[in-house]
Amino acid sequence: MTETQDTAPAPAEPPAPALRTRDLSFRWQPDQPRLRFPDLELPRGEHLFLQGASGSGKSTLLGLICGLQRPDTGQIQVLDQDLGQLRRGALDRFRANHLGIIFQQFNLVPYLSALANVTLPCRLSPERRARALPAPEPAARALLKQLDIPEDHWHRKVTGLSIGQQQRVAAARALIGAPPLILADEPTSALDTDNRDRFLDLLLGLAREHRIAVVFVSHDPSLGHHFHHHVRLGRSHHER
Amino acid sequence: MNARLALDLALASLWHRRRVLALACLTLTLSVSLLLGIQYLRTEVRHTFTSTINGTDLIVGARSGPLNLLLYTVFHIGNATNNIRWSTFQALEADDRIDWLVPISLGDSYRGYRVVATDRRFLDHFRYGQDQPLRLASGHWFSDMFDVVLGASVARELGHQLDDQIILSHGGGRTSFVTHAATPFRVSGILAATGTPVDQGVYISLDGMEAIHVGWESGIAAPGRTLTPEQARQRTFTPGAITAIYIGLKNPVLTFRVQRAINEFEGEPLSAILPGVALSELWRLMGQFERALLAITGFVVITSLAGLAAVLLTLQAQRAHEVAVLRATGASPALIGALQVIECVTLALVSCGLAVAIGALTLALLSPWLLDSYGLNLRLRPLDLAEWGLLAAVPVAALLVGLVPALSGWRQSRAGWGGARPG
Repeated sequence: MTETQDTAPAPAEPPAPALRTRDLSFRWQPDQPRLRFPDLELPRGEHLFLQGASGSGKSTLLGLICGLQRPDTGQIQVLDQDLGQLRRGALDRFRANHLGIIFQQFNLVPYLSALANVTLPCRLSPERRARALPAPEPAARALLKQLDIPEDHWHRKVTGLSIGQQQRVAAARALIGAPPLILADEPTSALDTDNRDRFLDLLLGLAREHRIAVVFVSHDPSLGHHFHHHVRLGRSHHER
Repeated sequence: MNARLALDLALASLWHRRRVLALACLTLTLSVSLLLGIQYLRTEVRHTFTSTINGTDLIVGARSGPLNLLLYTVFHIGNATNNIRWSTFQALEADDRIDWLVPISLGDSYRGYRVVATDRRFLDHFRYGQDQPLRLASGHWFSDMFDVVLGASVARELGHQLDDQIILSHGGGRTSFVTHAATPFRVSGILAATGTPVDQGVYISLDGMEAIHVGWESGIAAPGRTLTPEQARQRTFTPGAITAIYIGLKNPVLTFRVQRAINEFEGEPLSAILPGVALSELWRLMGQFERALLAITGFVVITSLAGLAAVLLTLQAQRAHEVAVLRATGASPALIGALQVIECVTLALVSCGLAVAIGALTLALLSPWLLDSYGLNLRLRPLDLAEWGLLAAVPVAALLVGLVPALSGWRQSRAGWGGARPG
């Protein structure tokens, strides 16, 4: 694999997967148990369901893939980029360019409107801006419309939105500029069943439409049937 | 780092928190107003004081120290050691280097206020502040022998109107039992307020001064020898002696030469002083007061900085989630830190702007009233260099104070989502 940052695969070689991890382990404090993670490989445009009980290290794994923490051992490759070879600043830029992230809640910058929250990645990343066609603002409007956010909420403070609407705005922010990979950390756990299914349908539908790979983390195994791949994180991965 | 984005986010964030910030900003604004106000007042009081008398090149009196001469001629404090003969005044009048002279004769008082005997030339030549002439608020300058013109404070404090009859006391002091009851004076005019000791004076003609003292050679009225006003008006008077002379020169370059000539005057021992120099010396004497104000100003600075730090810490506590979101969308730790600094500096700038506006408005509204009621002459002027410096120090200090939360935000967001564990 080449070390180029270019995401476009060389035509002769098969495209690199959206995500590939090898032998990952991480420890928050020296006196805490070491978390070990199964190897993952997710082809581009496909959806992975990571299921695990709380404490199984789901969020930690996402933090490693985001490049916020460095693994103690192992290797993470997002597209054809080995994250271990990027410095902090480059990691921030890589995240801005290639990743969309959705948290469990508090996903939005409270003092920006829904529309400004959605276009935020385009302001931080020229690449995302270039891919948000025809321009960030119309692209954001289109996404908000597809995600069923009423138009009169677009310009208002996001604090007035319901939790379900907030999560859908967060989904629009992750989707804008079609990043190759979206990481979602229990985004539905604060939603009721109706809202949960609607959120999943919308998110995964749009991800499929834009050929975006999704890593979706949840403790709830009943969501698994929406996804192509399943991995279960368990206590067995802990090691003293 | 995206400076435009940082600025937009910081401003939106400030606006979002405006309810909490309004109070904090008010605190900061008030302390900056205080800081600026004290500095402004210091400069103004000093300025008003050192321009108590202006345009007068020399003040001449009997031989004494410069401060003493200044105190009794300009500030009506203390007494002359001796008088100047009228012949000396006439000799100086003949000096062609001298443009104008104002004779001043002191000695009597009116209910604690000094009576200043002079003539028309006082009104014409006396200047104060920025070369401002005296102006009559009502009536006219004295023309009759028994006319009197009151300073603004005298008229206000004693409630005198035009055409009131007043009786002068012999000698100085607040309670004098010896009065010139036989020769009452009529108020012919009242001077406009100047904010200088001129407001505390009672002005009569030299003739009037002479007339009321006929028969008083022994220091008390000799029965049968004093004049009634009618008798006095029949006579012409030449003053025997006066107390001081204000002098304006044709060419101010000659000031020191004329001063030297007067100090070496052969007829009698005289002292000539430069009022500006003497005023500065007097101000230096009162420097204790100014230094105390300076110390207070220093404490105000410290108070406002402590307030600012408190505001920032309050702000930082609630921001973990939004920092996490920004980090997740690819914002660098430097951007997170910059947000804190920009917000802090913006807050300081807003406070400074408000403080200047409040100060200017207060001064514009209050200065006529202050001049009328307290004789304080405060002008509205552009800020000087020291005040700009002080004002600029506030956002700079805010920048330094803002670095504290900025650095901790930067460190936290380097290590993870920025303090919060989302999800």
